[in-house]
Amino acid sequence: MESCNAVEREVEKVFNKFAGLKDHSTKNLDELCNSIQSIQRELGDGETLTATQTLILTQTVRRIKEAVSRLGQEHKELHSTVSKVGKSIDRNFVNDLTSIATDGAFEGTEKTHLLNEVVCEHFMRQGMLDIADALVAEANLEIAGEKKEPFLELHRILGALKQKNLEPALCWATSNKDRLREINSCLEFKLHRLKFIDLLRQGHMSQTEALYYSRHLSQFASQYPRDLQVLMGSMLYLRQGIENSPYAHLVAPIYWEEICDVFTRDACCLLGMSVESPLSVSIRAGCLALPPLLNIRQVMQQRQVSGVWSNKDELPVEIDLGKDYRYHSTFACPILRQQTTDTNPPMRLICGHVISKDALTKLSNGTKVKCPYCPIEQLPMEAKQIYF
Amino acid sequence: MADVKALEHPTLKVPYELLNKKFRSAQKCIDREVAHIHSAGNDLEACLQQKSPTIGDVTWAIDSMVEKLCLLKRKADESISEELEAARMIKRRVEHLKEAESLEPHAKPLWHKKRLDRMLVEYFLRSGYYNTAIKLAQHSDIEDLTNIDLFLTSKQVEESLSRRETTPCLNWCYDNKSKLRKMKSTLEFKLRQQEFIELVRSNQRMEAVRHARKYFVNLEDDQLSDVQRVMGLLAFPSDTSITTYQDLLDDKRWQDLVHQFRFENFKLHQLNQSSVFAVSLQAGLSALKTPFCYKGEHEGRNADCPVCVKNLNELARPLPYAHCANSKLICTITGLPLNEHNPPMSLPNGHVYGFNSLAEQAAQNDGRVVCPRTREIFHIDEAEKVFVM
Repeated sequence: MESCNAVEREVEKVFNKFAGLKDHSTKNLDELCNSIQSIQRELGDGETLTATQTLILTQTVRRIKEAVSRLGQEHKELHSTVSKVGKSIDRNFVNDLTSIATDGAFEGTEKTHLLNEVVCEHFMRQGMLDIADALVAEANLEIAGEKKEPFLELHRILGALKQKNLEPALCWATSNKDRLREINSCLEFKLHRLKFIDLLRQGHMSQTEALYYSRHLSQFASQYPRDLQVLMGSMLYLRQGIENSPYAHLVAPIYWEEICDVFTRDACCLLGMSVESPLSVSIRAGCLALPPLLNIRQVMQQRQVSGVWSNKDELPVEIDLGKDYRYHSTFACPILRQQTTDTNPPMRLICGHVISKDALTKLSNGTKVKCPYCPIEQLPMEAKQIYF
Repeated sequence: MADVKALEHPTLKVPYELLNKKFRSAQKCIDREVAHIHSAGNDLEACLQQKSPTIGDVTWAIDSMVEKLCLLKRKADESISEELEAARMIKRRVEHLKEAESLEPHAKPLWHKKRLDRMLVEYFLRSGYYNTAIKLAQHSDIEDLTNIDLFLTSKQVEESLSRRETTPCLNWCYDNKSKLRKMKSTLEFKLRQQEFIELVRSNQRMEAVRHARKYFVNLEDDQLSDVQRVMGLLAFPSDTSITTYQDLLDDKRWQDLVHQFRFENFKLHQLNQSSVFAVSLQAGLSALKTPFCYKGEHEGRNADCPVCVKNLNELARPLPYAHCANSKLICTITGLPLNEHNPPMSLPNGHVYGFNSLAEQAAQNDGRVVCPRTREIFHIDEAEKVFVM
């Protein structure tokens, strides 16, 4: 943030100085114009100029020449203010991203094609179909119509949900009932519940309608008995309005936000897609990863150990992306500080502590091995391979 | 180091270069007008120095002086306004970047989305997908925050070069003369060379010699051999079979010019050779890439992991893996992290899951749990605690 402020300060200076110069020069030039014009008016209608008039004019001309030269000079001097902005940008932002990226990783027609497909899918996912189409046209992609279809439907339904229209979503949930049940989805119930609450909100006018609708809910009785009781209980307060009852929480707008999330999650699951666009996840991870990578590059360049970087099998430093970006369990042996592999798997000692197989071999002293974390001793063969 | 610092150099540097350019042209413009006033002043002075200056002459000279003064006033006003506009552009972008810090947590994703869109616009522009870039910028309302204008200018130049026209590119060279000279650019020389070649190709040899006389003087020492080679072309027919000269007549040279122009245009604006988008994506994929992403379908791939998705999986193949010095464990049933609140438990077959998901299963099935990977059934009491340091 400091970097932004530094640049902003320099830009402010540019503003002040240039605005000042603008006012100043306009005023000055106006004044010069006026003074010479007033002399012109006073020349009278004689044939020739008097000596005094000549003198005054000569002086004025000299003054004008000096003033405009000064204007040019003043403008020139502002260059340092301008170039300070550039310097401050260079100082506060990293320009050189070389050696962070793997050369040629995304080059070549094949790779470009793959990347463009990813980008295109990213747009389709977000319902930005016109942009996806533009990209397809310009990058010569071939995206089949059927690939687009599910995204279109998803977006139509989500759009309707955001308008608080449940019908398309209910329709979709009913037609995918069996598959939704397989993944243990609560989508259908939540949709019916929202519909029911919506009816309740309309007051006791729609009491019969709500009662009639509650039949849709009965199929969920075994799964969500508690929720059903709450829903039916709230009917007691129809006359005075749900908003003023102990059940007021039912009409909270949060349920509408929730339903959009639930729908997206379940629909993506049925389509075999990730909930979030892989592109946005990767870029966000990249934005987190770049600062530490740039830092380590700087350190390595200073200590001239750039050889470590050229080992492109692994990043030179661990990057903590936070718990949201964990998709696989990675176990690093606490003794060897290495990620375990198929040939060097994690082993659970009888005391419950886990170390890698290589570490176990290194630690074993003859027939016995002592756990590095607690006093328990055991035979190496008693350790058991585990799978995270 | 903040991500803004790492990523946003081009966002600010390009409008700065614009401001700088505006400054220089403003200075030129003001200097020119000042010189005009000086000469008008000299005229007036000359007029006054005559023995007996007539009022008619003096009035005329004063009128011309006033006219010049007004012109300077207008020009100075316009130029400075343009400079201020350029500075405002930088300020707008700085303000947008500053927003990132002060945003409420729920507004952050929106800013991140905008950032991705900005990166994508730049990527499209670099790849030449101008239409898509403009559409996206309009859709996300980020036209002010992206360097579309810069690329649209270069688009015109590139297109003209592929149509074999040198004028727009020469104009561009002229526009950025001082900077190109500082960079020791050879682009202008290459363009002149190409013009010469084209003249020879169309058999206007006399014209070619005239062209050479005009443009191949004042050259750097190392360009001499190039000139000699090109001049040698005069002696051969345009369908010569000598490879050295065939190369000169090759159409590929136009393509090379496009590449060189693109390269120097980037350099001029201090843009990196690879887009911020590509660099960030690579860094992100690397940070997420684990050996599991390249195993079989059921041995650890995760549909939510970007690197496990088909296309990105292929793209990430040459990239380095994430470095892992500390264990990061998740429960493969729920995807939730394993820690003191959800301790890892190993089943008798060695597979490890979170306590919470096992306990939930057990509660519903009389204490029985199913290992989802092997389909074996165990009792929850058989699960043993695992301690990960």
